[in-house]
Order: sequence, then structure tokens, then C-alpha cells
Amino acid sequence: MNRLRHNWLICRAVAEVTYKEWSAYRTHSLVSVIVGPVYFMVQYFIWTAVYGGQTTLGGLDLQQMIRYFGATALIGYLIMDFADWNLSMLVRTGKFLTFHLRPVDHRSFALFQKLGHRMLGFLFEFLPCLLIFIFVFGIDMRPASLPWTLVSVLLAFLMNFYVNYTIGLTSFWLVQSGGIRSAFLLVSGIFSGALIPLDFFPHWLQVTQLFLPFQYIAYMPAMVFTGHYSLGGLELSLPEAVGMQAAAVLVMFGCNELVRRRAMKQFTAVGA
Amino acid sequence: MKKYVDVYKQCMYSAIQTASAYRMNFIVSSLITLIGNILFPLVTLLIYRAGTSFPGWSLYEVLLIQSIFTMSSGLSSLVFGGLLWTTMSHVREGSFEVILLRPLNPLFYIVATTFSVESVGLFLGGAALFIFSAMHIGAISALAWLQFAGMFLAGTAVLAGLSLMMAAMSFKWVGNSRISELADSVLHVGKYPLPIFPKAVQAAATLIIPVGMVGYLPASALLGRVQAGDFIAILPCFVFLWAGIWVYRHMIRLYEGVGG
Repeated sequence: MNRLRHNWLICRAVAEVTYKEWSAYRTHSLVSVIVGPVYFMVQYFIWTAVYGGQTTLGGLDLQQMIRYFGATALIGYLIMDFADWNLSMLVRTGKFLTFHLRPVDHRSFALFQKLGHRMLGFLFEFLPCLLIFIFVFGIDMRPASLPWTLVSVLLAFLMNFYVNYTIGLTSFWLVQSGGIRSAFLLVSGIFSGALIPLDFFPHWLQVTQLFLPFQYIAYMPAMVFTGHYSLGGLELSLPEAVGMQAAAVLVMFGCNELVRRRAMKQFTAVGA
Repeated sequence: MKKYVDVYKQCMYSAIQTASAYRMNFIVSSLITLIGNILFPLVTLLIYRAGTSFPGWSLYEVLLIQSIFTMSSGLSSLVFGGLLWTTMSHVREGSFEVILLRPLNPLFYIVATTFSVESVGLFLGGAALFIFSAMHIGAISALAWLQFAGMFLAGTAVLAGLSLMMAAMSFKWVGNSRISELADSVLHVGKYPLPIFPKAVQAAATLIIPVGMVGYLPASALLGRVQAGDFIAILPCFVFLWAGIWVYRHMIRLYEGVGG
């Protein structure tokens, strides 16, 4: 119990410090208040034009499609992460060494940092954009099921973190993992469903996505938000979909743990 | 003038030498850029694959817009790509004075020393897609090519103007690495046929921040769809570039160093 309390105190302290540290740069977050609605506006007109007289496309009607893009944009603000870049920088500069002296391992530290950083994102990106979507664009942003959506977003938050952290761990072998990071961002951007719902992909590619981490980051939470999940011919109820997402997060966590243990053996403390 | 040409040539040579010193990084970055460009029109492909379309535009016509947009971005990025990050870095570190002390126009110096060889991949990716889509749209007259060339140049001027304005913004909004996202979001409008947007957005994208000239209008010229009135939109493009240069130079005058 004491250990749990101790970990909670560390988590709270790191999250609070990160929140205060980034509060100094809150105008960075406010960029999203312009960028998010502009991107959304473009998507809005693209899909309004594309639907034309059609009632459904990829299993979604126009209103669902608009809600889907609204949801992916807002979820993006809640789960945004750059743990890979941060870890890569720490390894390259040798500063990672200092984390061996701290009473918390770096992965937990990075996760708590992300919590603090996203709390700021919630206030300065999520809330203003939510209000713009509702009151300027007139979009119904009420989730089909609030509890399942919250759980799904939380799982997406963890999945995004573990995937990014695993990418960052490659720095222990490559030192400069910028290339892998760019390649991953490219693939993730397409297959997470942030650009276009995955229902539009060929069937074989949809089935492949069930076994890759990308769809669990944006597509699944957005579909849980809209209240209907299907991919590659697989139709799931909301609890089933969230259950599958939880299993995927566990698998990803296992992979991350495996790579992390090997990476720690690889660490040579450059810069010490 | 000869001095400036010589300096620019020397800077280009240096950039190529630097790229060849880190060959693997250069190859990987260029490849990723190239692949990224091949995947860029994926949304369009998937939309048309689903049996729907942008009203009045065939798949290859939309791809033509997007390829022209990519080529224009590549060209602009080659010359102005590093301007924002270099300016931002100098302002944040308080080392812009070093540039002001050089016996050259500071704007020219920064532009010349940030020649981005890796943007060649961006241009080539766009060019490949352009050839592919142009081959599917039928014969293009010599006049259409001429109109396209003029509009393409104007579109590249818009991108250059945007780069300059973003870089100028970094003098005041110190160290904000998200400034470029502002330009990217506005440019997103230019990747699709303008008629799908409301009249107000079309007007803004033609006359105020003329992003319509980056992809849509040059493509329309090749397709023989431009009206006489559309050529008026070339003027705001160069005004935009001029405004970018003016704002950047103005911000240099406002720069307050911290000791360097």
C-alpha cells in the first residue's frame, strides 16, 4: 500500500511539474485552436462534396463521417505524444544516464510527464476546439457512450505512448532514430485512420490492421465515439471493441517491456 | 549581383557536400519524403475507389492538382525550406547578430545558407505523379503549358511568401516550433479543387492568401478550364511574396539581441 502511495506521489509530482513547465509555453498549444478547426473545415467541405447525393460511404453517413473527423481531431489532442523524440534525445546526448540515479524508471517518468503535458492539452487544445466544433460548426459531439469512449481514449493514450516509447528505444542501437521515427509517423498517419476511416481501405489491408497497433490509436476510439465499430468484416459491440483494444495494449506493453530490457543491456552511458 | 550569384553557388555546393557527408541520412530522408509523396494522394485514391468523386473532377484531374502542389512545395522548400528553422534557432539563441554582421543582405544570407538538398525528393515525387496524371488527361495545348508555367511560378511565389511570413513570425513568437503548422493548415485548402469550398473560402484562397494558385489554378490551366478573370489572381501571389520579404526585413529591424 505504501509503495502504491509512493508511486502515486511521484506520478502527481512529475505530472504537476510538467504541467507547470509547459504552461510557460501554453501559446504553443493555442496554435491548435487555429490549426485544428482549419483542418476540420477542409475535411468538412471535402466530405460534403464527396457524399453528394450518396447516403452512406464506407458504412458511414455524412453526419457520422463529420463526427468521426471531429472525434479523431479531439482524441489527437488528448493522446498526443513525443516520448520517442525525447528518449532519442536523452540517449544521443548521454543524459539518459541521470535516470539511472532517480527513484523512478524512465518509462514511468515519461508516462507521468505525458499525463501532465496532456492535462495542459486538455485545457488549451481539447476544450477550445470542442467548443468551436459544437458552436461554430454545429457538430453534435456527444459520444454514443461516454464511459466506453473514455475507456477507449485512455487505452489509446497508453497504446500511443508504448508504441512511441518502443520507437524511441531503437536509439539505444541506432543513436539517431530520426529516420525510423519519420517512417513510423508516415505509416501511423495513414493506418491509424486519422486521414480517412479504415473502412475505405481494401479488405486485406483492413484485416491486416487488426494485428497492427495503429488502428487502436485513432480509428478505434473514434469509432467507439460514434457508437459503431467494424473493420475487415469484423463487427463488434462497444464492450467487445474496447476489450480487444485493452488486449492489444497489453500485447504492446509486453513488446515494449521486452525491447526495454534488451535496450538497458545495450546502454553504455555515453556522456558520463 | 555577381557576388550574390557566386555566394549562392558556393552555398549550394556546401549543402551538397554536407548531404554527401551523411549519405545514409540523406538517402533515408529522401526516400521517406518520396514515399510520403506517393502516399499523399492516398485519400483521393480511396475516395474514388469507393465509387464516389469530387463533383466535376476525374481521379487524374485531382491527382494533377495534388502533383502540382507537391512540385511547387518541393521547389519552394529547396530554396526556402530551412528559413523558418534557422531564423527561429538564431532568434532563440540570440545569435542573429552574427548574421547582421556579415557583409551581405541578411535575408539573402539565410536563404542561401539554408538551401535544402533533401527537398529534391519532394520535387521528384511530385514530378513523377505529375507525369503520370498528365498522361491520363489527354492532349495539352502549347498555350495551356504557357499559362501553366506562369501560374506555377506564381504558386511557388505564394509558398515562398508564406515561408518568409512564418519565419518573420518567429522573431516575436520566440521558439514556437508549431508556427509551420499554421501555414500547413492553410495550404491544405490548396490540395483540392477549389469549387468544393464555399465562395468566401474560394475568394480568400485566390485573393488574400492565394493558396489556390499552388495547385488548383495551374492544373485548371492545363485542363483548359481557366477563365480570363483567373489570371488576375497572379498579381496577389507576387504581392504576397513581396509582403513576405517586407515583413521579414521589418522584423529584422525590430530584432533585439541578447548579446550573442
